Amino acid sequence: MDLNEIKKLADLMSEMALTEIELEEGGTRIKLRKEILLPSKERGSISVPSTHMEHEIVTAIETKTEGGRYALIRSPIVGTFYKAASPDADPYVEIGDIVKKGQILCIVEAMKLMNEIESDVDGKIVEICVEDGTAVEYGKPLFRIEPS
Amino acid sequence: MFKKILIANRGEIALRVIRACRELGIQTVAIHSEADAASLHVRFADESVCIGPPDATLSYRNIPNILSAAEITGAEAIHPGYGFLAENSHFAEVCESAGIKFIGPFPESISLMGDKAKARETMMRKGIPVIPGSEGKVANEKEAAEVAKKIGYPVIIKAVAGGGGRGMRVVHRQEELAKSLQAAQMEAKGAFGDDGVYIEKYFMDPRHIEVQVLADEKGKVIHLGERDCSIQRRHQKLIEESPSPVVDDRLRRELGAAALEAVSASHYVNAGTVEFLLDKDHNFYFIEMNTRIQVEHPITEMVSGIDLVKEQIKIAAGRSLEFKQSQIKLRGHSFECRINAEDPEKFTPSPGTITSFHLPGGPGIRVDSGIYLNGVVTPYYDSLIAKLIVHAGTRDEAIAKMRGALSEFIVEGIKTTLPLHKRVFNDPAFIKGRFSTNFLERFLSSLSLPLQ
Repeated sequence: MDLNEIKKLADLMSEMALTEIELEEGGTRIKLRKEILLPSKERGSISVPSTHMEHEIVTAIETKTEGGRYALIRSPIVGTFYKAASPDADPYVEIGDIVKKGQILCIVEAMKLMNEIESDVDGKIVEICVEDGTAVEYGKPLFRIEPS
Repeated sequence: MFKKILIANRGEIALRVIRACRELGIQTVAIHSEADAASLHVRFADESVCIGPPDATLSYRNIPNILSAAEITGAEAIHPGYGFLAENSHFAEVCESAGIKFIGPFPESISLMGDKAKARETMMRKGIPVIPGSEGKVANEKEAAEVAKKIGYPVIIKAVAGGGGRGMRVVHRQEELAKSLQAAQMEAKGAFGDDGVYIEKYFMDPRHIEVQVLADEKGKVIHLGERDCSIQRRHQKLIEESPSPVVDDRLRRELGAAALEAVSASHYVNAGTVEFLLDKDHNFYFIEMNTRIQVEHPITEMVSGIDLVKEQIKIAAGRSLEFKQSQIKLRGHSFECRINAEDPEKFTPSPGTITSFHLPGGPGIRVDSGIYLNGVVTPYYDSLIAKLIVHAGTRDEAIAKMRGALSEFIVEGIKTTLPLHKRVFNDPAFIKGRFSTNFLERFLSSLSLPLQ
């Protein structure tokens, strides 16, 4: 089993709103569990290596679980993440906010164009996965939403 | 010199460019689709950015995402490799506007040479022999029939916006012309979005001879000899060699001179290849110019001793070419076998996981590849997984070396064209250097199967 397959399992969990998945294949067994992320929780200093994918997996495996289910809003483009429309504006969303499908969550700026990123689910923001002003690649998780 | 270059490609060529950058002390940014996250070029680059899903249109040809990746990583230049956006003049323009150096020719040269009919016209005006044919696009069936009658059958109908051997139709008789014309136009529209076609004389047993050129931004141009790429299947090259077994010094000088004329006619800068057709009497005719580094560039590197990708980067950085034409010495003989993840008999793609892998080695053996043990060959991209290149003092020695190298090249878990290469390198006609572009099709139909 390689990282790609583990990532696929993690994605499957998100898509199907599962909290736990266990797979046994050819002598290898793996269990993935989801966590509820509370704002104050320490997630440990997992340094992000060259691919976003590894960060994702480590988070899924290492932290304790308490049940919960998420949708991940991923960046559809390459660019720079901004949580607000401008430096002195309020952020589009904060952790704990209830959002609706189609609601603007953030901006990803690419080549001087501001792209508004919308939620594709109704739910509650449980995590903002990137820091304001950081570069994001295609597929990078931006928000974790607990669907309602 | 650039501090950081983004490589807008994947697989073996992306790794090739990364190696050249590394040797020049340049930082590298790899871009990749989600399907290529575990690729070698991603692993060996200094940084990587995922730019889209597996579909190449949304990833490796996604101009906004690629430019954005250059922006967020601070890359000063982009090397486009071959395929994908390498000959996309719009991409070259957009890079220019964004202040990012496109490592290749200027957009105008790409457009000019990308329009096959315009390229022909340009060469004709410069007195470079071109294949007898229509002057540019044929307007209608009537014109097509007139041209065909004038140059004499058989003729070949080709797509103006085409390349890579697609959108072509051979017509042997007047009666077949109308139908073939329609079919070619439809195919061209489907494959390239442009139904424009032109007509050329069709030669029965030609050789495909191409000349490598290098031009710096100060107007200095040189050529690095020719490559014989006649071993093709459906216009896709499979085996290439340099020098050509039928090109002598005099012909080489003439081909080189014609290639350099083509370069000056198109105000060309950086690396490029001028393709010619050689007929049975050794007359040559311009076919097209490829405005990029080519798959088969390694064989020219082996015989000339010049690193073409490093030269591309140096030229793009504004450096002058260090060599004069008189200093270019071609030594020995080199072959390249393109190893594809395909069924060697049916040529259907064979994606999958590589379960066993061993590469040949020893003096004069080079492998350019993006695959590795336990790596996955995906179905999304072209099937080239490795290039096996040999270099030796003579053609016969190079053939023996390639045979040995092929026998040591082990790939299991997927099917490859290795068995086919082994057979060709044991074929008497091939060994004698007696072949044309029809060789492989005839060879394949006469083979006793199975190959493996």
